[in-house]
Amino acid sequence: METNFILAGFGGQGILLAGTVLANAFMLEGKNVTWYPCYGAEMRGGTVNCEIVVSDEEVSSVHKQDTDIALVLNQQSFDRFVNRVKPGGTIVSNSTLVSDSRPRSDINYVFAPMTEIANKLGSSKVTNIVSLGVLASASEIVSKEFLERAVEKVLGEKKKELIPLNLKALRAIEDVCLV
Amino acid sequence: MVNEKVLIKGNYAIAQAAVNAGCQCYFGYPITPQTEIGEYLSGKMQELGRGYVCAESELAAINMVMGAVSTGVKAMTSSSSCAVALMQEALSYAASDELPVVLVNVMRTGPGLGYIYPAQGDYNQAVYGGGNGDYKIIVLAPSTVQECIDLTYRAFYLAQKYRNPVILLADGLLGQMMEPASFGEYPYPEVDVSSWALTGAKNRDARSIYSVAREEKKQIQHIYDLHKKFDVITQNETTFEEFNIEDADIILTVFGSMTRNIKAAMNVLRKKGLKVGVFRPITLSPFPHKRINELASRGKDFIVVEMNMGQMFKDVKFAVEGKVNVDLVNRPCGEWLSVEEIVSSVEKIVEGRKQYAASV
Repeated sequence: METNFILAGFGGQGILLAGTVLANAFMLEGKNVTWYPCYGAEMRGGTVNCEIVVSDEEVSSVHKQDTDIALVLNQQSFDRFVNRVKPGGTIVSNSTLVSDSRPRSDINYVFAPMTEIANKLGSSKVTNIVSLGVLASASEIVSKEFLERAVEKVLGEKKKELIPLNLKALRAIEDVCLV
Repeated sequence: MVNEKVLIKGNYAIAQAAVNAGCQCYFGYPITPQTEIGEYLSGKMQELGRGYVCAESELAAINMVMGAVSTGVKAMTSSSSCAVALMQEALSYAASDELPVVLVNVMRTGPGLGYIYPAQGDYNQAVYGGGNGDYKIIVLAPSTVQECIDLTYRAFYLAQKYRNPVILLADGLLGQMMEPASFGEYPYPEVDVSSWALTGAKNRDARSIYSVAREEKKQIQHIYDLHKKFDVITQNETTFEEFNIEDADIILTVFGSMTRNIKAAMNVLRKKGLKVGVFRPITLSPFPHKRINELASRGKDFIVVEMNMGQMFKDVKFAVEGKVNVDLVNRPCGEWLSVEEIVSSVEKIVEGRKQYAASV
């Protein structure tokens, strides 16, 4: 089985890092995975995204037209990617910055106030990791256990002191009711 | 530990593999989509006490590599399409000088300045070269991040083994993407360069490396010798990969990072009942003409899929010697052809061939 994800947000929200953690989690789980960023004449404050494809077999294509799951941290990303979600797929949105609209009836919606939760934890910088926790709650294919190991691996020795906060961020959504 | 899988970008994988291969000097000038190679090495080489120069231009960078490898050490530069164009003169000199230059080209869109999107438009530039004279370069085309590592190792080895420039022809998608890969250890023996390297003439006669023989007879012989050497390279080093070739009626031929999409398309087409195989040259130069000709002799048609206007297409056509059909599925640049697009293009070609066969 193959599943693909698009993660998108403002430049600076840590979306590429979130993608790196997610891809590492799949790698640690022993799956085949690819990570591909949008790259180009990007600027701070512009939108940034990356695509992750995970497969039990060899990954068929790194860069695809449509996606099974979209994780969007800002309104522009919601507007841009809501139409690229496959019928039956899911869009997971940061409701702090994305208004609750449901323009299509053939996809699933998950809204969670990710930036708000991150602020309550003490830093809006962990919005990206909070969002991965939401993603794990919304999708069976993403394992929270492997995400935890991936956070530890990606932050590593150099940023060891940030691991506890990020692990907390990963679990933060468990206390919030998803809508 | 060395066999542990890490999630790594193609560009970083190439850079670290160069370090593992014993690359002593890196000279380069930044350009998207390969800048991470220089970025990574700027820190790493300093850490290891090796050489790193952010050159004033691409022209300077490749000439610095020529200088460094003349002394027998391993050295490389990396760049992308329009900037590799600036290095063509030096490649012609390096081939004639028989210098083990390693050049990484992470292809972007051309012609001219082009754009930073991935493309495969430098096949001709790499394989046939933009420099003057009768020279040949070894060209290796990785298709995955793991192969970025493996073929970087091989590039350093082949360059010294045959004293010939080697181009690692990657592309923007491969340079920018991450996937799990492991480095292992540099798998090749060290090549003895003591018979030719310019290491100072203490206790021996002075040596020089020239690109020209200055006498007509010697110059003629020099060119014959270069080509004889490449015949040996062709014999020993031509490599390719095949999938489901044995029972295939149609062989999709592809190089580089498009291979993934082609293999997926092959699986879809097989499910639909078409006997499709995949053939992938790993060395674009030397090109596996002989193997393609053998397959053509067995009546297998070819469809070349590439992200350019049909560059490898011509080599495949040449190789089959008119024995079978060769068609092209392509796009000049931008988003890689999707699996669905490849499947429907192949189906259209097969249908067209059927109708033609029925009409004659």
